[in-house]
Amino acid sequence: MDVTFRGLEFRRSGRVVLALPGLRLASGRVTAVLGPNGSGKTTMLRLIAALERPDAGQVLLGERPARADRETRETIAYAFQQAAFLTGTVRANLDLALRLRSLPAAERAARIEQAAAACGIGHLLDRNAHRVSGGEGQRANLARALCLRAPITLLDEPLHGLDRGTREALLAELPGMLRTFASTTILVTHERDEAMRLGDDLVVLMEGRLRAYGEKGEVFRAPPDREVAAFLGYTVLGDAAIRPGALRVGRGDFEVVMRVEGVGDMGTHLEAWGRAGETLLRAMVDGDRPVPDDEVTVSAPASAVVRFPGEHATPSG
Amino acid sequence: MEALWEGLKEAVRLIAEGDVELRDIALRTIFVSGIATLLAMMAGVPLGYGLARGRFRGRTMLLGAVNTGMGMPPVVMGLIVWLMLVRSGPFGDLDLIYTKRAMVIAQFLIATPLVVGFTAAAVQSLPRDLPDLLAVLGAGRLRSLLLLVREAQLGLLAAIMAGFGAVVSEVGASMTVGGNLQGNTRVLTTAIVTETSRGNNDRAIALGIILLAMAFLVNLLLTMVQQRRVR
Repeated sequence: MDVTFRGLEFRRSGRVVLALPGLRLASGRVTAVLGPNGSGKTTMLRLIAALERPDAGQVLLGERPARADRETRETIAYAFQQAAFLTGTVRANLDLALRLRSLPAAERAARIEQAAAACGIGHLLDRNAHRVSGGEGQRANLARALCLRAPITLLDEPLHGLDRGTREALLAELPGMLRTFASTTILVTHERDEAMRLGDDLVVLMEGRLRAYGEKGEVFRAPPDREVAAFLGYTVLGDAAIRPGALRVGRGDFEVVMRVEGVGDMGTHLEAWGRAGETLLRAMVDGDRPVPDDEVTVSAPASAVVRFPGEHATPSG
Repeated sequence: MEALWEGLKEAVRLIAEGDVELRDIALRTIFVSGIATLLAMMAGVPLGYGLARGRFRGRTMLLGAVNTGMGMPPVVMGLIVWLMLVRSGPFGDLDLIYTKRAMVIAQFLIATPLVVGFTAAAVQSLPRDLPDLLAVLGAGRLRSLLLLVREAQLGLLAAIMAGFGAVVSEVGASMTVGGNLQGNTRVLTTAIVTETSRGNNDRAIALGIILLAMAFLVNLLLTMVQQRRVR
C-alpha cells in the first residue's frame, strides 16, 4: 500500500515541524527515513498513524486519508522507539495486539509463535514483559508490530539503545523479518548505516523539510546539496563532497593538502587525521606513515567526488 | 494509659454485647464514607486521567488547584457546603442540610481532589507512549481507558485508600453539614466528639478504637489487593 503526503504541513506552537508538499512512498518497499534529531522523522510516522492531525494537507494510505478510526488502525503496525508494555507476559502483550484486531484464538497463537521465533524471543514469551532486558524488549516490540502483518509497518528507531552485538545481530536479521511479515515499511533512523542496510529507498529530512528521496544508492551517490552530503557522511570541501572512506594519503584525481594531527591503527588499516583549513579530514594511509604537523597530500578518485557548483566559491581540488 | 486500657475493654464489651447504637453508627459511617469515596472515584479517576494526559490551556493551574484541594481542611469544606445547602443558601430548597446526603456531598468534595491527584500521578508514571500504543493497536477510547486504569491500579488503590481514609476520619465537615443528629447523621467521629464532651471517655475511646479498627480493615483489604499486584 502506497503512503502519499499531499500538501502536508504540521505545526507545533506555531512552528512548522514537518512540511511535505508532495511525496509518495512506494508500496512493498522499505523506506528509511533519515535525519538528524528534531528533523520531523517521528512526526512523519505519527501523522501516518493518525496520532497527529496535519494542519494542512493530508496523508493517504492507499487512496484513503489517514484518520483516527478503526480502518486506519488496522492498516498500521507501529513499533515505537521506546518499547512500552502492559503488565503481563510478553505473550499476553503480543496477544492483546491481535485480540484488539478481533483475530481468532488459533490464528493469534500461530502468529505469536511465528513472529516470536523470527525475532528470537520464543523463549521469552512467558516472561514478565517488564522484566526483559533492553535488547529483548526491543525484539518483543518488533515482534508485536510484525505479528500484526499490517499493510503498512512503521518502525521508529528499531535498534535504539541496543548494545553493539545485539544491534549487529538485528541489523542482519531485520531485512528477513520484514520480507516475511511486512509489506510497506517505513523505518526511522538517524544512523546512516542503519538506513543503508535496512532500506530500499531513502528519505532525508532536515528541519522538517524533505531534502532527498529516491532509491538509497542513488540518493547516496548523488546527494542534492552540500548539507545533505555532509549528513550522509561526505567530507565537504568547498564546492566538492568526498564520499566517506574515499580519502587516501597520496596523489590522485582530487587532491587537497592536509596538516596531520594524528595517525592511528584502526586494526585493518592505518588512518591519518588532520585539517585542510578548518575542515577535519580522515584518510587511509597506504605508504609511509606520516607524523603530526606533516603537510601531506590526500586525494580521492574522481568517481568518489560530488560537485555542487555555485554553492561555494572556494576552489579546493 | 489506664484510660486507654479501659477504653479497649469498653470497646470489646460494646462489640460483644452487640450494642445497637454502636452498630448503627458504625454502619452509617461505612455507608456515608463508602458512598462518598465511590462517587469520588467515579468522578476523580476520569478527571485525573484527563489532567495527566491532556494538553490544554490552564492545565497546570488546574493541577495546582487539585493539589491545593488535597490539603483542604475538612471543616472549611464543610463550611462551604453548609453555606450552599443551608435554608437561605443557593441550594437551600433541596432541603439537604443536616442529612446523610449532605454529609456524602461534603465528603465527596473532600475525597475527590485526593482521588484526582493520586490518579494523575499514577497515570503520569505510566510509560509515556502507552496511550498512543493502545490507540495504534486499535483499542477504542473506553478500552484504552480501562487498560490504562488496570495498568495504574497500584496508584488508583492508593487513591481509594487516601480518599476513604480522609473522609472516614474527618469530623469537621460531618459535624457542620450533618449536625450530629442521634440516630440519623451521627457517625463514629462525631460520636467521639459527643461522648468526649459528655465526659464519657471510656465510650469515646471505645468508639475511637472501633473507628481505627474499621479503617485498618478496609485499608488492609485494599493493601492486600495492591500488594498481590506487586508480586
